[in-house]
Amino acid sequence: MLFKGIPASHGIAIGSAFLLKVEELRHARRSLDSPADAEQEIRRFKTAVSEVRHDLENIADSMGDVVEGRQILEFLLLLLQDPTINKEVESEILCEMVNAEYALSTTLRGVMEKFTVMADPYIRERVADVRDVGRRVIEKLMGTEKEALKNLDQPAVLVAKDLDPSETAGLRPGQILAIVTDMGGRTSHTTILARGLGIPAVVGLQGITSEINPRDTLIVDGIHGHVIINPTGKELKYYRDIRDKFQEAENLLQRMNPGPAVTEDGVRFELAANIELPHEVEFVNKLEADGIGLFRTEFLRLIQENGEDEEDHFQIYNKVASEMMPKPVIIRTCDMGGDKFRTGLDSVREANPFLGYRAIRIGLDRPAELSIQLRAILRASVHGNIRLMFPMVTHIEQLRGLRDLLGMVKNDLSARGIPFNEKMQVGIMVETPAAVIALDLMLPYVDFVSIGTNDLTQYTLAVDRGNPKVADLYDSFHPAVLRQIDTVVRLCHSRRKWVGICGSMAGEPLAVPLLIGFGVDEFSVAPSLIPDVKKMIGVVTTCAAREMAEKSLSIETGLKVRALVHSYVVGKYPEILLDENDWKTGG
Amino acid sequence: MTERIVTVPNKLGIHARPAAMIVRAAVEFDCEIWVESPADKVNAKSIMGVMTLAASGGTAITVSAEGTDETEAVEAIIKVVRSGFGEEMI
Repeated sequence: MLFKGIPASHGIAIGSAFLLKVEELRHARRSLDSPADAEQEIRRFKTAVSEVRHDLENIADSMGDVVEGRQILEFLLLLLQDPTINKEVESEILCEMVNAEYALSTTLRGVMEKFTVMADPYIRERVADVRDVGRRVIEKLMGTEKEALKNLDQPAVLVAKDLDPSETAGLRPGQILAIVTDMGGRTSHTTILARGLGIPAVVGLQGITSEINPRDTLIVDGIHGHVIINPTGKELKYYRDIRDKFQEAENLLQRMNPGPAVTEDGVRFELAANIELPHEVEFVNKLEADGIGLFRTEFLRLIQENGEDEEDHFQIYNKVASEMMPKPVIIRTCDMGGDKFRTGLDSVREANPFLGYRAIRIGLDRPAELSIQLRAILRASVHGNIRLMFPMVTHIEQLRGLRDLLGMVKNDLSARGIPFNEKMQVGIMVETPAAVIALDLMLPYVDFVSIGTNDLTQYTLAVDRGNPKVADLYDSFHPAVLRQIDTVVRLCHSRRKWVGICGSMAGEPLAVPLLIGFGVDEFSVAPSLIPDVKKMIGVVTTCAAREMAEKSLSIETGLKVRALVHSYVVGKYPEILLDENDWKTGG
Repeated sequence: MTERIVTVPNKLGIHARPAAMIVRAAVEFDCEIWVESPADKVNAKSIMGVMTLAASGGTAITVSAEGTDETEAVEAIIKVVRSGFGEEMI
């Protein structure tokens, strides 16, 4: 069950609900909604009374023969069980429809007034006893919850009507995963409190406290102001991913160099992020990335039942593009198949899934589905700097087919008067030797290319890196891979097209100087790698990088290429790259 | 309904401690028990009630009860009051 409120403090939390009826801490008047609520309050009152009675009896027992003390306690016990007082409290709760604390304090005030005006000084003194008993009961009433909050066996999501800093001042960040309240706004106490604790909060969720039961599992999305009560497995998985990424990004920000990615000699490179989930945009912006170099869209299949709702696609693209504005967002059409999850529909068991039905091979086979995605991308293109990218193009006919399909969608949109960016850049992933070798034939149809080094390495070396028996043959520094990268960059630049790199190689510290040397225009890496890549770009000069890149083309093995870059970097900056793993493995 | 009148025999009257003694006697019974002074009529099982009655020494109070054990109850309360609560008598 999804509830929408006001996002008050950023972050994602998943945990079990802890309901705090915070008004009771002030024993302020709280109106009850139904007779059932009143019954509940009376039960709560009776429980508190019997708990205080138990306490007092224990104290009395421990006093043994101290007669004075026992007498006082016995008197307190009589007060506690006074039927007149208790009936008055109960009728106050029922007739006035108020909470137990309020009813009790009102009643006791009346009792104390009566005592105070008594002529008999012995009785007047008993006002203190009334106050004592009253205080004990009220402490029980509010304390049971406060106490439970202190003794939570595991951190929980705090759910309350409203929070006041004085009531929650003792909360420790580790105790509370998130805060969810009925009341409040962006500047309310709850908001300030949550931000102070660095935990997510959603406020202004009117009535949510009556929807949530203790120990319900809650997802609190403080980014969008969503709260999901008892989520499905799918929702849990989706939000766990986002939460982990959010966490990772937050940690990264701690060790970030501000500003753009610039080489030691002052040449600027575009450093963009690969994202999978729309919510990552926020962190990407915090990381000061220059754009989204790869927006994977396979996730839509996961979170949607049918995966083909144009409006859903549009909303997501629109959000990402407008939040990144004016920075570019490269949306890659659905790259299903290969090693990626597939829907049941199109799974014929394949002997070689990587050589089989995947990516635009599926898209061109099912143009209706691909058109939906293209329409959504085009519609969103007027709301940001969107670029379109097709994966796994190996044949020129495919590229023509895709351009035709895109043209048809554009014509249809024009005919309907729906705006889109006529000049939206269109590019392809270069991830097969076919695309590299025949790139000159493809370039006239595209505005840019992005090298997918993972697939390019796998297809070039004919190595499935998921197979441990051959995984050590997988090496992006293999001369055959490096030479292809060099070829692609030269070809693109000779045709005045820009070239990016979005495979995991772009995030490898030792690859960064080489890629700079080859002249790659844009790096797109996982958000978590942005600080490291930025640092790496900062330690090389373009001149040295070019030398290394050139040299690497005539080096026999990947290992030797790594050693070359390693010695250069360590020679300059002994403090970095001391971890041998950086150049021995790294694949 | 059983009803009897008794005079508070101690000097200080029904203050806190005597009130507690009355209530302790009263709660032993199932029936409803009341104590009535010229000013007020209260539940004998309510410490607050008996105290606020503030019956001073020499005041005539009415003890009444209604229920299965009403006779014994009235008898017991009268006994406690007549004892003067172990205090100095008028």
